Amino acid sequence: MAQEHDFKVAVLPCNGIGRLVSTVVRLAGYRIKKERPDQVVLLSSGRLAVKEPEHLAAFQKYPVLVIDGCRPHCASFMADELGKTPAARIYIADVAAENRISIAGDKRRGLTEKGKKLVHAVADKAGAEIDRIIADEMLSTL
Amino acid sequence: MADKVCLQPCLGLRKEAVLGRQALYVIHEDLLPDETVLGCGPALNANVQEDVDFINLYPVLTVEACDLDCATKLVDKKQQRAARTIRIPDLVNELKLDLDALPEEHIDIEDPAVQAVAKRIAEDVKELLTSS
Repeated sequence: MAQEHDFKVAVLPCNGIGRLVSTVVRLAGYRIKKERPDQVVLLSSGRLAVKEPEHLAAFQKYPVLVIDGCRPHCASFMADELGKTPAARIYIADVAAENRISIAGDKRRGLTEKGKKLVHAVADKAGAEIDRIIADEMLSTL
Repeated sequence: MADKVCLQPCLGLRKEAVLGRQALYVIHEDLLPDETVLGCGPALNANVQEDVDFINLYPVLTVEACDLDCATKLVDKKQQRAARTIRIPDLVNELKLDLDALPEEHIDIEDPAVQAVAKRIAEDVKELLTSS
């Protein structure tokens, strides 16, 4: 009998509030989920920080992609704290540099087209990582 | 008397969390910039010094999006207690806001619902400043 597999990736955006990049991360998380509704479980960092059972179960079940907004890398910290090595990590500054996108002048309370462009770039990079992670999971079952 | 209040929001994904987040930007940047600090949950969880200092130095007002109370539990996890907890669903009822009419992922800062929630929470901040 063929084994049933549930190939999904748990995406953990830091979802902070303090910085402009926090808003980029937050909106990128929604976009990733919208683009890949069947492949992504979008995790709430707030719930995971206090080990809410449903979120913790998804975190433990699926390979994890973390998205860190700023230097403390708080989403990565959370994954480490919970004892799991992420399958991939995205750091917003890397994506901004790779795509030569500056969001200087944007505001955390609401992004302009510049900020939205970075959101799209982050979602694109996440999509590529999700493809790679799921391919790796699938191939490991063969 | 405390000179500032730490605003510590739930940073969840649901609409209520977005409404609370946007309202706190209004309070911190427009209404009471000198009387508030804005605590970041994941940073507090990661022991970022600034955010740890915020909850140790100032009375904490947690703003929750649902009854899981994750922001309040996070403050507990870091050995402090919230001085006051506000739940956005309660404010939605109190202020008679139409949550269904608001967008899911981002609510404009000028939206009347954001402004109304901000003004209401700002009242609690002022009370905390005088009572703490």
